[in-house]
Amino acid sequence: MSNAAITVHNLYRFFGPLQAVNGVSFEIPHGSVCGFVGANGAGKTTTMRILASLDYPTMGHAEICGINVTHHPAEVRRLIGWMPDHFGNYDNMTVLEYLDFYARALGYKGAERRQRIDEVMDFTDLVPLADRFSNKLSKGMTQRLCLGRSLLHDPQVLIMDEPAAGLDPKARVELKHLIRVLAKEGKTIFISSHILSELGEMCDSLLFINNGRIVHHGDSESLKKSTDLLGGVLYDVQLDGDPQALSDWAVLQPNIEFLESRKNGGRIRIDTEDPNKAADVLARMVKDQLRVVDFHREQRNLEDAFIDILANLEKNQPAFATPPPLPIEEK
Amino acid sequence: MKVEFLTDFPDRLSPMLVKELRQGMRTKAFVGVFLTLQIILCVILLSAVAAASSDEAGEIISSTIFTMFSIAVLIIQPMRGITALSSEVKGNTIDMMVLTRLSAWRIVTGKWASIVSQSALLLVTIIPYLILRYFFGGMNLIGEIVLLAVLFLSSAALTAVTVGLSASSSVILRTLLLIALPIAAFFLLLGGLRGGDISTYFALDTEQSRIFVSIYLAACAYLGFFMLSIGTSLIAPYAENHSTLRRLISLVVTIIAAVLGSMSFTDTDALPFYLMFVLLPVFAISLSEFAPLAAPTYRKFEKRGPLGQLAGLFLFPGWASGFFFCLLLTGISTAPFLINQPSYGGQDHFIYGLACLAGLLFPAVIINVFRINGPQRVSNYVLILLASVVLSAVLAGITDSLSNENLLWLFCWIPPVLMFLEEAGGNDDEVMYASLVICIICLGTLLLRAIHAYRKSIMDIRAHSDSE
Repeated sequence: MSNAAITVHNLYRFFGPLQAVNGVSFEIPHGSVCGFVGANGAGKTTTMRILASLDYPTMGHAEICGINVTHHPAEVRRLIGWMPDHFGNYDNMTVLEYLDFYARALGYKGAERRQRIDEVMDFTDLVPLADRFSNKLSKGMTQRLCLGRSLLHDPQVLIMDEPAAGLDPKARVELKHLIRVLAKEGKTIFISSHILSELGEMCDSLLFINNGRIVHHGDSESLKKSTDLLGGVLYDVQLDGDPQALSDWAVLQPNIEFLESRKNGGRIRIDTEDPNKAADVLARMVKDQLRVVDFHREQRNLEDAFIDILANLEKNQPAFATPPPLPIEEK
Repeated sequence: MKVEFLTDFPDRLSPMLVKELRQGMRTKAFVGVFLTLQIILCVILLSAVAAASSDEAGEIISSTIFTMFSIAVLIIQPMRGITALSSEVKGNTIDMMVLTRLSAWRIVTGKWASIVSQSALLLVTIIPYLILRYFFGGMNLIGEIVLLAVLFLSSAALTAVTVGLSASSSVILRTLLLIALPIAAFFLLLGGLRGGDISTYFALDTEQSRIFVSIYLAACAYLGFFMLSIGTSLIAPYAENHSTLRRLISLVVTIIAAVLGSMSFTDTDALPFYLMFVLLPVFAISLSEFAPLAAPTYRKFEKRGPLGQLAGLFLFPGWASGFFFCLLLTGISTAPFLINQPSYGGQDHFIYGLACLAGLLFPAVIINVFRINGPQRVSNYVLILLASVVLSAVLAGITDSLSNENLLWLFCWIPPVLMFLEEAGGNDDEVMYASLVICIICLGTLLLRAIHAYRKSIMDIRAHSDSE
């Protein structure tokens, strides 16, 4: 039995020929916030559903606070709060009735139920919406309602699948604030998102998953550092004139990679950290008649790191984590 | 700021029932049915009062009340159940519900109970009209009250059918249900339309009436339980074991049916139909169960020693043990036929028996041979069974018009065709041998696959236990 809040060991989930989760292993300590990152179809939701006892593994096992999710789902469900990536709301049911139903379903009675609902509505700022029909709420309000529902039984572990998807910036900030407060209260939060910059701010550690395998597990700073060594340095270049000229020029240059177009230029990667080399590059640009109006170094972000990891994987260089071996019967 | 606490329903009520009532009582469908029923009954009653001198006034009121009530509770209310679970599955809210302390069974029965309690509300509202009708005279009081109760229980059973099958993601199945429900309700409605006459049959004043009502109510309860059970299986998380209790209940019911049959308590010609009625839902669920065997379930049986392991062979979740259980039920069901052999001596009974057994196994063979996996195996089983029966009937119709049996022989591998072959007057020996061969093929195919699947599930569990 592990002391971690979430333990996943050699987890596999196959859907016919599709290997959705392919030997995933990781541990998340109590009271930490862990971001779960991966492209669509990478295996995030499947892993999270197994952890929430909503699906079962083909092989391997997962534990919440040391309790096996497949063997003891009822015990696990008392420990977790689950926010799915998408869900519908009920017709003809107010916000208060919605929470009242789930509180009843969780076994709360009388005054205790009232107290739990009050606390959750206060925390998620749902009091002004108490009499609104739940299917008439905005996306942000709906997410707050869903978060409130998942907190009714005061779970130790929160599993949140893409909670910020489709939210406007204001609702996203509100949600981020709520997650921060929950983290301060000592809850273990396992959260998936496509918005890596937000995860980087909120999370103590990040798990990158690709094609059902964990390709990185560590904090965001170590991720940035490790990829810096491999990926060189990023520069933002702004031109006066046709921005296409930059990508055309970069293609012909050794040790320079054109990463993305921007409004008046683009972003390039120079494969060394030596500032003299950067100066040489700038000089070559000017010499080749690119009308450079801005040339500055950019901080590497998590998106870059993620792309680097994927690129390395494509080159069959798993630099950050070795995927666990296949089980005997699969070899 | 504090919100006003909800006190509309007491704590002791099921959360699902509370939720569904809160939602259901606000739906346009319920409000519409409720108001329309009241308006129509008021108008009819006032008209009848105006024509009070007529001898038939009382009968007209009865017929109208029963017709309106039947339409409301046999068609409209059950139809509301068609989307009961599918809407939860589609909206992804079912996951959030199963993560609470609500079991899949409580979710399904809560949905069902909500619609049935709304039907009960409709029942209560028509009672004043029936009391007024009493003053017009010529009322068979007991008969009409029992008929009303029977209509209500029929509604509960039909609602269980729609709620149970609403968990299926198969649009075809639910569309078929939309078509079949009014047809089934029509036959039940005949009773409502002729309320005055048929009420004498429900008067419980003769032994035949009492037996009929008892069997009808038992059938409604059994059908209702199994249809809700299908819904439960379709939405339940894999670790929840609903199979064992369900199989034990069906075992008891089959034994009771077989004992009654052995005692010649029932009409001998009706016995095969009773048994088919009992076996059909059990076969449909047991032979298509998708749930894998979970370690806690296995351990509960394992710790009871060899007897527990033997029981597990029949009672573990999953289609493999479901197949062994169906074999056990088949054995029990044939007992009355063996005991009352003189009554069942004819070859045609033997052929029908084999064709029925093969017919029930046939969808499971198709599912297994073509590896149609996934939680929708129950729906697939029902659809394949329906398709085989409909196809057989169509082939029989064509054969009848051509006056040539060859077409039926070409499709005799579809088990229901064998029954039509027998009906069409085919050579009894040939039809019997064909039935026997088809039955053995179905049994053999499933037996081999069931043994393999059963052993694999046990080995997986043991391997998992070892690794821990």
